[in-house]
Amino acid sequence: MGTHFCPGCGKVLQLPQQSDYFSMFELPRKLWIETSVLEQKFLQLSWKLHPDNFVNAADTEREISLRRSSELNDGYRTLRDPVGRVEYLLAIEGARKEGENKQQAPPELLEEVFELNESLDELREAKAEGADTASLKQRLETAEKNFEGKLQEVDGKLQSAAKEWDEAVDANVDESARKKLMGRLNELLNRRSYIRNLVVNVQKELL
Amino acid sequence: MPRIVGIDLGTTNSLVAYTDAQTGQPRCIPGPNGSTLCPSVVSLDADGSIIVGEPARRRLLTQPERTIYSVKRLMGRGPSDIQSELKLFPFRVDPASKNVIRVQLGEKVFTPPEISSFILRELKNWAEAYFGETVDRAVVTVPAYFNDAQRQATKDAGKLGGLEVLRLVNEPTAAALAYGLHEKQRGKVAVYDLGGGTFDISVLKLISTSEGDIYQVLSTNGDTHLGGDDIDNLLQAFVHERLQPDQIDFSPHGELAQELRKTLIDIKHQLSETEVATLRFPLPNGKIFVREFTRDALEALIRPIVDRTMAPVKQALADAQLKPTEMDEVVLVGGATRTPLIRRTVQEFFDRKPHTELNPDEVVALGAAVQANILDLGVKNMLLLDVTPLSLGIETYGGAVAKVIPRNSTIPASAQELYTTGVDNQTGIDIHVLQGERELAKDCRSLARFTLRVPPAPAGLPRIEVKFLIDANGILQVAAKDVRTGEQHSIEVQPSYGLDDSEIERMLEESIEYAEQDFAERQVIEARTEAESILSATAKALANPQSAQLPVDERAKIDAGVAALQEAVKGSDYKRIRLQIEELNHATQHLAELLLNSAVESAFAGKKLAEV
Repeated sequence: MGTHFCPGCGKVLQLPQQSDYFSMFELPRKLWIETSVLEQKFLQLSWKLHPDNFVNAADTEREISLRRSSELNDGYRTLRDPVGRVEYLLAIEGARKEGENKQQAPPELLEEVFELNESLDELREAKAEGADTASLKQRLETAEKNFEGKLQEVDGKLQSAAKEWDEAVDANVDESARKKLMGRLNELLNRRSYIRNLVVNVQKELL
Repeated sequence: MPRIVGIDLGTTNSLVAYTDAQTGQPRCIPGPNGSTLCPSVVSLDADGSIIVGEPARRRLLTQPERTIYSVKRLMGRGPSDIQSELKLFPFRVDPASKNVIRVQLGEKVFTPPEISSFILRELKNWAEAYFGETVDRAVVTVPAYFNDAQRQATKDAGKLGGLEVLRLVNEPTAAALAYGLHEKQRGKVAVYDLGGGTFDISVLKLISTSEGDIYQVLSTNGDTHLGGDDIDNLLQAFVHERLQPDQIDFSPHGELAQELRKTLIDIKHQLSETEVATLRFPLPNGKIFVREFTRDALEALIRPIVDRTMAPVKQALADAQLKPTEMDEVVLVGGATRTPLIRRTVQEFFDRKPHTELNPDEVVALGAAVQANILDLGVKNMLLLDVTPLSLGIETYGGAVAKVIPRNSTIPASAQELYTTGVDNQTGIDIHVLQGERELAKDCRSLARFTLRVPPAPAGLPRIEVKFLIDANGILQVAAKDVRTGEQHSIEVQPSYGLDDSEIERMLEESIEYAEQDFAERQVIEARTEAESILSATAKALANPQSAQLPVDERAKIDAGVAALQEAVKGSDYKRIRLQIEELNHATQHLAELLLNSAVESAFAGKKLAEV
């Protein structure tokens, strides 16, 4: 709690400029987090920082409490989510780069994405003309299952890359090895977000 | 420090409660007539004074054009939002209304926050009379699914009513607080709250820690235009349809529609207790409309409304990643949950008997008082962590919405966005903030628009960081910072559906006028209102041919009673007016029975004239 409250007067402190969500929860910058530990710290800090504690306090203290408790909630929301956690880590490491063009498919998926988009267009046309869509829908459902499988695959890869990252942190590897790992994580995130968008779009069309 | 009260500002009724310092238990404060319920009805008297609560409710029948109910439905909404409501509710909306609806009462025009402020001021008066000291700070409850504009409107109402609103608390959360204190519940709790005009479902986790109990809301969902009112509207439409051949004017502004509405609400309440109830409604053409309602028929009629509540329930559970059977407790809140069909439906869905131990009308106010106590003493042994019901988004290129704070985020919550310019020497960046789950801006609720001022520079060079913060009340704050200079920018946010500061200032000045009415004056106004309603009821009864059967001496007594009351009303002695009201009520009892007996036998025997 030392980083959050003044040791002399017990008043809530502003978070230092360089602070991040990991340090807020007194965690190392690693990607495997025990959820129950995170929750416990979150609740502990909520007791102290929540604005309900500061209704009768001075304006500035109220302001700080509002900001600090929103940061706490933002941090908990971000770190609780395994994917959000990776994105955040890359962002504070300066290594998060969204694809040059988010619409660009990963090369090895190009063919399948092309087919999927064609089926989507056909379905939209059929819908507009009021034609029978049953067989088209079936085809899309199969395609959707296929891409959902790929999403799971990426999630698995992301998990193992995250594990590698944690091991690298423990082993105190050099900067270039870190950069390489982060590059890989970043690529997996972009890939994941592309496939996820695809799945969501198909699901919407199938509704 | 004066104490902080908890207020439930409801669609149908409003209440004020406090936490007893000795017992630590919350209690509702009764008003002058002994009831803790203050009908959320406001009437403008011909002399310009404001009448609130039970006396105003009676005026719905005598002066519907100066009286308004269910104003909560209009809070934070624009004129285009309420077109469908206008067919069902007697709201006279000023055609000149722009961002904020303006409602006509008699010869004056008020905004919904002003009308709500009259209700809040009435409750403040109740509390002050009860404690014998000033009360100027309150916790006020709002439907969990209220958006930013509806919350801001509620806060504005508090300010106009002479109360600093220290916190807006979500109604189902407040109910959970009251139940938690009452029952010492633990685990996962679903709160199903169907009030007069709004529906909320909240899923909470109650956690015991060494510091105390934490009430953590996991998810919330709802519909801010779904409630008991809608059941009343259905019943009304049902009867109107049956009466079409009689060509009776049931325009929502008329007295007859209000009388029918009141009668049907009674029938609805009866059918929660009994299987059959009979409607007897005297028509202006001398006929009496008689119809038997069974509970089954009522349930068939309202099933669509009950079904509409289930989609939000399922969404809230999905968002909390829980199944219905995983809930440890289910709590029913709101007057409409007295309906047996709703109790059954909820019980079947969760496979668990819901809690109904606390009075569903009072439980939200009691919870507000618990939260008021927490704020008063600081977080000692209870902590409330609530969420924002709707995602916050920013309009991006092509009218799409980029979500920056997802729904069900614990509040306070914030998000930072970095903006820059697209062309050289661009001096402003337009930002449009929205709330909702849809992907296109046009399908979401517009909260505010503002322009970031940027010093002239080559395109892409300026870096403006905008911070969106949803505070513990669920209300948005926006701040901007020039990243290169560290300079804070002030932002003039123009709310899409709300009052701006200057409007609030003007209304505050006007509100002082109403605040200065003292206790005695209000008593006189209320007594006069009641007198008017019995005088008009008596005149109506005497005009009926049946009254010719009245013995001469009784008729003389009534005439004398009317004259005495008319005389008393001219003066300002409210005790005298009340006395004459009693006398006249007594004198007309036989007349009331006579009128009804001829048509309806003995159903209304023993009732006062003003009640039939």
